[in-house]
Amino acid sequence: MTTVIVIPVYNEAKVIGQVIEDVKDHGFPHIIVVDDGSADESWCVASAHDVLALRLKVNRGKGAAVKTGIMAANLLGADVVVTMDGDGQHNPADIKPLITPILEGKSDVVLGSRLLHREEMPWVKMIANSIGNLFTWLFYGLLVSDSQSGFRAYSRYAALIIDTKADKYEYDSKVIREIKNNRLRFTEVSVHTRYTDYSKGKKNKQGFLNGLVTLYRMLWKMIA
Amino acid sequence: MKIHLYQVIVVAISSVMLYLGIKEFVNRETGQTLLKLFVRLAVWGGMALIAIYPDFTLVIARIMGVVDNFNAVVLMGFLMVFLMLFKLLSAIEKIEQNVSEITRKEALHTAHERIEEMRKEIKAQQGRNALCTSQQQNISPRKQDD
Repeated sequence: MTTVIVIPVYNEAKVIGQVIEDVKDHGFPHIIVVDDGSADESWCVASAHDVLALRLKVNRGKGAAVKTGIMAANLLGADVVVTMDGDGQHNPADIKPLITPILEGKSDVVLGSRLLHREEMPWVKMIANSIGNLFTWLFYGLLVSDSQSGFRAYSRYAALIIDTKADKYEYDSKVIREIKNNRLRFTEVSVHTRYTDYSKGKKNKQGFLNGLVTLYRMLWKMIA
Repeated sequence: MKIHLYQVIVVAISSVMLYLGIKEFVNRETGQTLLKLFVRLAVWGGMALIAIYPDFTLVIARIMGVVDNFNAVVLMGFLMVFLMLFKLLSAIEKIEQNVSEITRKEALHTAHERIEEMRKEIKAQQGRNALCTSQQQNISPRKQDD
């Protein structure tokens, strides 16, 4: 079974090299880095690390970058696709537990959940995530413990069948809808998040205001 | 019953929007959910209902406390602005999706050679893994025999 790791990045030149090396050190050499129109050297740094480095010339959002990476993984013939953030928050040691239910044939999608280890998460983020979970449940009818986590694993079948037009942060919630609509088998696995000064200080992270924008976009797509 | 022009226009627009919504849902197009269909039926169906039975607004107006003609005009203005915004935002969203699609295709096209190279690498690895698995399966029964 070949596992391909998809890492969307936006202005992560400082850390993406280390993230790639960490993932490789954990035994996953097949990596796709999708640069979402970064203004810095993210793409150049990724290209220098023997990975498939894709570059979206215009910034289209996290969802668009992840979708591009998954499409590329499908072209490569990946058996399992793992998506993880490019800022180093996700621990590559969690990839193995994440893909195990798929390798065992028990699940089509595995959601990495940060909320199963609540003590590690800042309380503001915890509240925001709970609100996100609530609205995801209201809109898409599936209650999960961490609807906004980008650390996920997909079987080949799931990677091919999941289709959403969401380009921004609402992509993560839309995947939940796809799981329900396509009746995919899913499970949640606890993952550890490394909240570093770098990741906390990022301007383009899913903060409170971005959360509101995401909510608006989810609402808008209900009527448009 | 006298039919006004605005009634024909509102009913026509609502009918088109309802038709599109139902068609997209029946065809199971991406992003079409039952909830979305219900919301569409409520919004556009409600507008059509009010256009066909304008007196229905009086009942709502009495309940909500909006009773004079001026308020009704303002309300109609809001509805028109809402309609324009709705169409504009829908068009912008469609354009955004097209931009994403073009950007994605361009990125994949540019990396075509590298993708092909990596695909061969992965295929070779999958072949080696399959070979190892079959060899292990052949060895295991012999061990049991020993």
